[in-house]
Amino acid sequence: MLVSRRTFVTAALAAPFLAPPGFAADGPLKLRDLYVKGGDFSDLARSLEGERITLEGYMAPPLKAEASFFVLTKMPMATCPFCEPGIEWPDNILPVYTRRTVDVIPFNVPMLTRGRLEMGEFTDPDTGFWSIIRLAEATYERQ
Amino acid sequence: MKNLFSASLLALTAAGAASAQDLPQASSQWFTDGQAQLETMLEKQENTNRALNVILFVADGNGVASNYMARMWAGQQEGGLGDDYVQPHEAFPELALVKTYNINAQTPDSAPTAGAMNTGVKQRFNVINVGEDAINGDCTTEAANELTTFAELMTEAGKSVGAVTSARLTHATPAAVYAKTVDRNWEASVPDECAEISRDIATQLVDAMEAGTLDVALGGGARNFATGEGNTTVGGNGRREDGADLVAEARDHGVEIAFDMASLEAASDEDAPLLGLFSDSHMSYEADRPEDEPSLADMVAKAITKMSNNENGFYLEVESGRVDHANHATNAKRAMIDGKMFADAIALADEMTDDADTLIIVTADHEHAIAMNGYCGRGTPIDGLCFDIAKEGIEHSGDLVLASDGKPYTVVGYLNGASSVMVEQEDGTYTAPEGRPEITQDEAQDLDYTQQVLIPKSSESHSGVDVALYAKGPWAHLFDGTVEQNYIFHVMNHAVNAE
Repeated sequence: MLVSRRTFVTAALAAPFLAPPGFAADGPLKLRDLYVKGGDFSDLARSLEGERITLEGYMAPPLKAEASFFVLTKMPMATCPFCEPGIEWPDNILPVYTRRTVDVIPFNVPMLTRGRLEMGEFTDPDTGFWSIIRLAEATYERQ
Repeated sequence: MKNLFSASLLALTAAGAASAQDLPQASSQWFTDGQAQLETMLEKQENTNRALNVILFVADGNGVASNYMARMWAGQQEGGLGDDYVQPHEAFPELALVKTYNINAQTPDSAPTAGAMNTGVKQRFNVINVGEDAINGDCTTEAANELTTFAELMTEAGKSVGAVTSARLTHATPAAVYAKTVDRNWEASVPDECAEISRDIATQLVDAMEAGTLDVALGGGARNFATGEGNTTVGGNGRREDGADLVAEARDHGVEIAFDMASLEAASDEDAPLLGLFSDSHMSYEADRPEDEPSLADMVAKAITKMSNNENGFYLEVESGRVDHANHATNAKRAMIDGKMFADAIALADEMTDDADTLIIVTADHEHAIAMNGYCGRGTPIDGLCFDIAKEGIEHSGDLVLASDGKPYTVVGYLNGASSVMVEQEDGTYTAPEGRPEITQDEAQDLDYTQQVLIPKSSESHSGVDVALYAKGPWAHLFDGTVEQNYIFHVMNHAVNAE
């Protein structure tokens, strides 16, 4: 098998995937781990702010082509869930800002993404997408 | 062969001429349980009292298959095998199957189905409580087609009226208690060209409370009653564009407002109007519900406590709204957990009322494209993979049943939905070049797991399959056989008017 640069990068990242800070043996986090019931951030999420973490989920169909951004969903979503500023923040999606232009993964294929957990309000100047929690400088792969 | 024939004949003779207790199987618990059931049925009496109260329980999207799933889940949560568990409504004496289609839809939606139950006539797809000449989305056809609701009749009879839901109060099923609209989606606004002739559903709710045709309304959907940021009952942002503060309007007309568990508990128990808006959109799935948000059972308890103080009785419609949403997401586990809460609410309502004067109906508005796979042994977790039938003993063998592709599969499946095993390819076609994904039991039992389905769709669909109806109390025996959904109204109306 030829090792492409992407494959190499993914493989190199695989080891840290298995050992995110504070979760040495538990593997990737789920979106629900970032929240408590009622929608507030969990203590775990607060403790991981600024850290690079790995999450599992699905890639919603992208808002636009050639973006360095996608929405991670906890369950397959065939239409991109658009979040209007200030309207109820859903706990089943997470905006992900990627290192590279997104190579789309079909919406119903399980995936892993790894990036730095950022919290606080942010409106994307390019898409207008408003978020209160997101991953930055992320990489991703099919699970 | 002759001996076999003789043995059969002897058995027949024994069953016919002698007691069933003489049969060789008579000592089996299955047999004695069957006999006990027979005795219960033989003693069944028709209740022909006039109904003081009517409670209509509707679990949205909880058809026969979904109800089976909830039964199995509840039974297995108590440590049993699931199959033999009896949900509270399954112990009700009367049962019918209900045909749920709409006037123009083989596959129904929740608006006209709820409308049929509340007015006695079937309706067109996506409309609520308007007649057959009303066209979805055409407000010029609305006024001339408005129907009289069961709630209005009950108000005339001096009864209190309540609507309780775990969805938005402006959503289809609760809206059918108090609203009339040609479009179920007009929850917070109507199109500009309709502004003079139609009212959005939230406005209709508050108007009904002010008019006295709706006394208790508990559920979600606060955003449809407020305008602007941070202005809903739970601090969220309003969806209204007309500047209205419908909660303030309701309060000005003497309606008490609740917004969390504490304020619900603190609200008056008197027969006085109460509007509870506990979330901006739908309330939480039961699996995700925070402690300060009331459960469906909490809301039902408050509604019955209040309206029982009306000596003329009450009509209460209760919707478990999110069984439907979880099914749409092909997330069977949340559907079954909400199904258990639905059952808990039914049990509570049954405890709080008297069979002599309260007609309780438990049904669904429609089924989903859901089905159960086989052949699984007893005790197979309903939220997991199918385990094989053991040749000896009762419980499953512990071996997974494998499909022809050598992979296991879950008990619960859906025909269509977002979790299709087929994946969109770069050319836009859908296929599964690597076959069906392998699933582990841990993955299948995860709260967020979505079942494998065939046909890719953005959201799993309803189906036109019949739903069950369980009933007890005055005139419940009129539910029998296979009936049309609009017939439900006619039994309710007969029960409250019987001489």
